[in-house]
Amino acid sequence: MGKLRQLRHWLTGQGRRIDVCEFVPQTHPLRLWADVLPWSEFVGATHRSFSRRFPKQHSGGQAPIEIRVLLGLELLKAETNCSDEEICHRLRTDFGVMYACGIKEVQVDGCQDHFVLPEVLCRFRGRIDEALMNEFVAIQSAVAIDEGLVSPKHLVVDTFPSEQGSQRVTDATTLYKAKKNSLKSQNRSQID
Amino acid sequence: MRTFGRACRGKGKVYVSLVRDTEKQVLCVGSKVVSLALSVQMHLQSDASLHPEQKGDLEDKLKEAIETHQAIEKQSRRLVNGKSLPHCKIVNAYDVTIAPIKKGKSNCATQFGKKPGIIAEMGSGFIFGLHLPQGNPDDASYVMPLIDKVDAAIDRLTWTYPRRRPSIRSLAGDLGMNDPKVREKLHNKGITTVGIPNTIEPIPKVPTPSMIQAILNTPILNENQNATQIKIAYACGYSRTFVESLINSLICRGATHIKYKGHRGAMIQIGMAIIAANATTLVRIKQDRLSKRAQKCRRWFRLKPLNYNENNDPNE
Repeated sequence: MGKLRQLRHWLTGQGRRIDVCEFVPQTHPLRLWADVLPWSEFVGATHRSFSRRFPKQHSGGQAPIEIRVLLGLELLKAETNCSDEEICHRLRTDFGVMYACGIKEVQVDGCQDHFVLPEVLCRFRGRIDEALMNEFVAIQSAVAIDEGLVSPKHLVVDTFPSEQGSQRVTDATTLYKAKKNSLKSQNRSQID
Repeated sequence: MRTFGRACRGKGKVYVSLVRDTEKQVLCVGSKVVSLALSVQMHLQSDASLHPEQKGDLEDKLKEAIETHQAIEKQSRRLVNGKSLPHCKIVNAYDVTIAPIKKGKSNCATQFGKKPGIIAEMGSGFIFGLHLPQGNPDDASYVMPLIDKVDAAIDRLTWTYPRRRPSIRSLAGDLGMNDPKVREKLHNKGITTVGIPNTIEPIPKVPTPSMIQAILNTPILNENQNATQIKIAYACGYSRTFVESLINSLICRGATHIKYKGHRGAMIQIGMAIIAANATTLVRIKQDRLSKRAQKCRRWFRLKPLNYNENNDPNE
């Protein structure tokens, strides 16, 4: 019932449902990528961490968006190297992204606006802490060792620089780009 | 405007007046925040209605707010070395994370920001752990926390007899990891350090019998090692090309340009990039789309059935 409520934007349509698994080819890169991740362990660890650190105060209200969907979006954001807006937008239309986010079925027709808002994804990210992040990496490593895919016998350690800064578009950026564009168009008109 | 920096690293420019203007506003707001945070901390201790976990979380945030102001105050007393920023790029001039990393490369411009450490498998490049320290400590200090991350992953395995739990046999690293104390700690854990060079000379890929014997004679280590493992350890010595490929896979996932705020934000962004990169590595392993070198390493690690058409001697 909870999932129905959060998917109501899509499920109110009249069209038939599409099975996402059938729609996404077996060899689709995002499908292959999503299939190797231990989602149930990730979701379990997130749920444990969140319920310990952010105990639920009220029982009412709209059901929250599933952790699996948000975690999928967050990891896909890293994999595809895109912004919150872009990945949330792709979730509405891209079946590969839907599959990676664990969505099983979607309605053909219906309003698809605001399925997962970037703000919701941002709030979810705000709850992830360092310990949980380390746990995710440990879970993935343990599962890979368990399946016999990797071995921790011979390892290499190294560091790399990582620059911190923001690329947010501000008024100054807009003005700068507008000036640049107008200069370019002036130059073009002079050449013509 | 001030220009500084060594010529070999390129000269950067900092708009001192702009930084000073920002400083006044930030310090003014910060001084109020500190007094408020201290009074809230006192109220928080006396409040019994809050859950202990919740209380701890709030206390951490208050502590962070106070520490941030202290860091800005400290940095306002000395203008940090800096480099000119490209257009459209905004950073907090007093964020500790933009302090320059005064170590490493001498053939490029000064590196800024954080320096995360990774520990990866020598074969496929699967990353087992990430360590992101506050500030920029020396590279040798990364080794033990990263080893602990791998141990934490191994501890999660629920293998029982006759299946033997894996253990770390050898560790490779660059000259920055060359620290006698670190080597001693690794030896105590039964890990060989032949992959960490002592000098700028490259590590030989094939060890001589005397080199193997010298390692086998090392106290403590001889119980956990054998000649074959030592040969493999030499063959899996530090390779800059291999590490660069790992870093490149993280760069294309945005791990080297942190857009999230603060230390926690950096940890999340790099962590997510590592998980995504690892998933891609696992896909490649499952599809057997690995380099010849990785395939050879995997045969040595006994992760793949021996290919009888090829010579599996680690000395080659």
